[in-house]
Amino acid sequence: MPLSTQSQSDDEQYVLVASLDNARHLSNILKAITFKDHAIFTATPNGLKVTVEDSKCLQANAFIQAEIFQEYTIKEDLVGFQINLTVLLDCLNIFGGSTVPGVSTALRMCYRGYGYPLTLFLEEAGVVTVCKINTQEPEEPIDFEFCSSNVTNKVILQSESLKEAFSELDMTSEVLQITMSPSQPYFRLSTFGNSGNAHYDYSKDSDMMELFRCTKTQTNRYKMSLLKPSTKALALSCKVSVRTDGRGFLSLQYLVRNDDGQICFVEYYCCPDEEVEED
Amino acid sequence: MNCVLDGNCVKAFGKAIHALSRVGDELWLDPTVKGLALRSVNSAHSAYACFLFAPMFFHQYNLGSALEQGSETIKCKLVMKSVLPLFRCLTSIERNVKQCEISIGTPCDRVMIRFFCRHGITKTHSVSFQESEALQAVFASHLCPNVLKAPARLLCDMVRHFPVSQEEITLSMSPLKVSLRNYFEGAKDHLKTMYTEMSLHPDEFDYFQVGVDSGITFCLKELRGLLAFAESHCLPVSVHSGAAGRPVCFSVEDMVVEATVVLATLIDSESRGPSQPTETLAPPTPRCVDAAALPVGYCDAHSNIPHDTAAGTELVASSQGSPIINSALMQLLPQTDIPNELCVPDEACHSASTTPASTTICSLLFRALSSDQDDPGLPVLAGYSDGEENMEDDDYPRSPQL
Repeated sequence: MPLSTQSQSDDEQYVLVASLDNARHLSNILKAITFKDHAIFTATPNGLKVTVEDSKCLQANAFIQAEIFQEYTIKEDLVGFQINLTVLLDCLNIFGGSTVPGVSTALRMCYRGYGYPLTLFLEEAGVVTVCKINTQEPEEPIDFEFCSSNVTNKVILQSESLKEAFSELDMTSEVLQITMSPSQPYFRLSTFGNSGNAHYDYSKDSDMMELFRCTKTQTNRYKMSLLKPSTKALALSCKVSVRTDGRGFLSLQYLVRNDDGQICFVEYYCCPDEEVEED
Repeated sequence: MNCVLDGNCVKAFGKAIHALSRVGDELWLDPTVKGLALRSVNSAHSAYACFLFAPMFFHQYNLGSALEQGSETIKCKLVMKSVLPLFRCLTSIERNVKQCEISIGTPCDRVMIRFFCRHGITKTHSVSFQESEALQAVFASHLCPNVLKAPARLLCDMVRHFPVSQEEITLSMSPLKVSLRNYFEGAKDHLKTMYTEMSLHPDEFDYFQVGVDSGITFCLKELRGLLAFAESHCLPVSVHSGAAGRPVCFSVEDMVVEATVVLATLIDSESRGPSQPTETLAPPTPRCVDAAALPVGYCDAHSNIPHDTAAGTELVASSQGSPIINSALMQLLPQTDIPNELCVPDEACHSASTTPASTTICSLLFRALSSDQDDPGLPVLAGYSDGEENMEDDDYPRSPQL
C-alpha cells in the first residue's frame, strides 16, 4: 500500500498519525454526530474523541479507540484541534463510497500540531488523494458533570425497539418527554404534538430491556430538535443505554459495531428543557 | 365506547383507514349497536366511503354506559392526518402489534388508540376529535338497474391498466359487454394522450344485470382504496349503478365488515353508451361545462382548474344561479328518470361543436353541509340519515342505512 511507504523521517514531524484500512470505520461513526459543521478532535493515547455541540445544551461524542486503528501514534498526552466536520466527511468519502466488497478506501490521518492543517492520505485501488483541512483553535468541550455516582435511573435497551419508536415520533411535538420509574410505566417516551399525545411504554420485563435499574420516578422533557440527531447514532447501534441523573440531565450511550465487529461508542448528553414536577 | 381488536384484525382496520384516506381528509367514527362505522367524504361531496365493522370483528366491543343511560354514543370526527400515520406501516403492524384498543370519550375529547406490541412495548396515542353528527349517505342500491358482481381481483386487474394519474374512467354497460375506458375532458391535445379501453364479456362476472344501457364516468382515485381492501381480503365487489348522472356504489361485505364507496358520476345529456365508442374517444371541444362542476374538480376540489383553459368553453351558470366558481358547494341539479331530459344548463348551452354534451356533475348532497337550504323542491340523493325532511321525492325512498 503506497501510504505505508512514506519514510520514517516524514513521520517525525507529526504529533498524531492514525491509519485505517477502511476509512468507513471512521466516517460512519462521524456521520452519527454530524448535526453541526464543527467538531472538536481530542486525541489521547487511548484513542480519538470527536465532539459536536449544539446551543450549549447538547453534546455528542464519538469514541474511536486506538485499537481500531491499524496504526496509531501520538507524541503528546493530548492533541486537540477543531475542524469542519462536513469537509472532513466529504474528504473521507472522496472516492464516492463504493460498496463493492473488498474495495475500500484506506486512510492515513496526520497532524503536525498546533496551527497545522490535518492531512489526510486516502487511497483506493491505487489512486491516492491528499487532503489538507485547516484546523482551528479547539474550544473546550462543555463538561456536563454527568457522573455515574449521580445516576438515578439507568436502562439498557436493544436498539431495535427504540429505532421504530424514534422513527414514528411525532415531530410536531416540541419536546420529547422521558419518564423512568421503578413502577409503571417503567420507561416511557412521550410526545405532545398537534394531533394529540403519544406514549411509548417499555415494560421492565420486556425482552428488549437488557438492564433496568431505576431508583426513583423521574419525568424530564428535552427539546425534540436537540434529540432528533441522535436517531442517526441509534440507527447504527445495537444497544443503547439511557441514564438520567439527579438534575434530569440525559445521557444516551450507543454501542456501535463496525463491519469488522469492532466496537465504538457514541454518546449524547442533553440538558432538560424544563423542570417537571416529579411524581 | 371501547373496543379491542386482535392482531390480525388491526391490519384490516388499518387498510380500511388507508382506503378512507384516499377519499377525504376527515374520518368520522360512529360507534353503533351494529358495529363501528368509519366514514369519510371528499371535500367536493362527490365521493363517500363507509366501512362498518360488526361487533364480531372485535375481540371486545363495548358501547359503554352512555347507551345504557339511553343517551347517544359519542360520534366523532377526526383529522385523517392524525390517524393515518398510526396505521401507516401495515407490515410493521402485522409484525409487532398483538392487540389494539380504541376508546372514545374517555377522557374528555380524545380518542385513545393503544397498541399492545411484542416485547412488552405499549404505544398509546390520544387524538383529539370534534363531536359531530354522523355522516351518512343514503343510497338506494336496491333500486339500481345495473348490478355487477365480480371478484376484487378482476376489478383490480381492470383498473390496473390505467395509470395512477388517470383521474376518471368511464364504465359502460350493455347486455353484450362491459367496457372500461379512460375519460378525458376539455380540449386536451389528443396527440399526447393514451387512450385505453378494455371490454369484458358478461360471463366474466359473478353476477350481471343490465337494466339500462349506460356509460358512467367517475373518479378512480377514490375507488382504488376500496379495491385494495377488497383484494387483500379476497372479497367480491358489487357495483350498483344506473344511468349517467346517478351515483355508483361499490360495495364489499363479509361476515364482519361491510364497506361501501359511493361516487358521483357525470351527467351526460346524450346517452353515450358503448354503441358510440368513437364519439367518446374524441374529446369534445368546445363544451359547455358548468364551471363549478368540472369533472376533475369534483374529484379534487383543490385542483383549481382555470376555467379559461378550455378554449371556446362557454361558462354556464348553474341552475341555482350560483357563482361560477364554487366547486366546494356542489349544486344538486334536478334529477329525473328520463335520461334524455336536458338539465337547465344544457338548454342554455349552444354548442356548435360536433360532440354535443354539456356535462354537469351530479353530486351527493349532504344537507347539513349544503348552503342551499332554500330549495326544498330538489330531491336529495343522499342526505343525513337524521334529516327527516330529506326524502321528498318518492322516486328515491331510503335504502337501509349503513
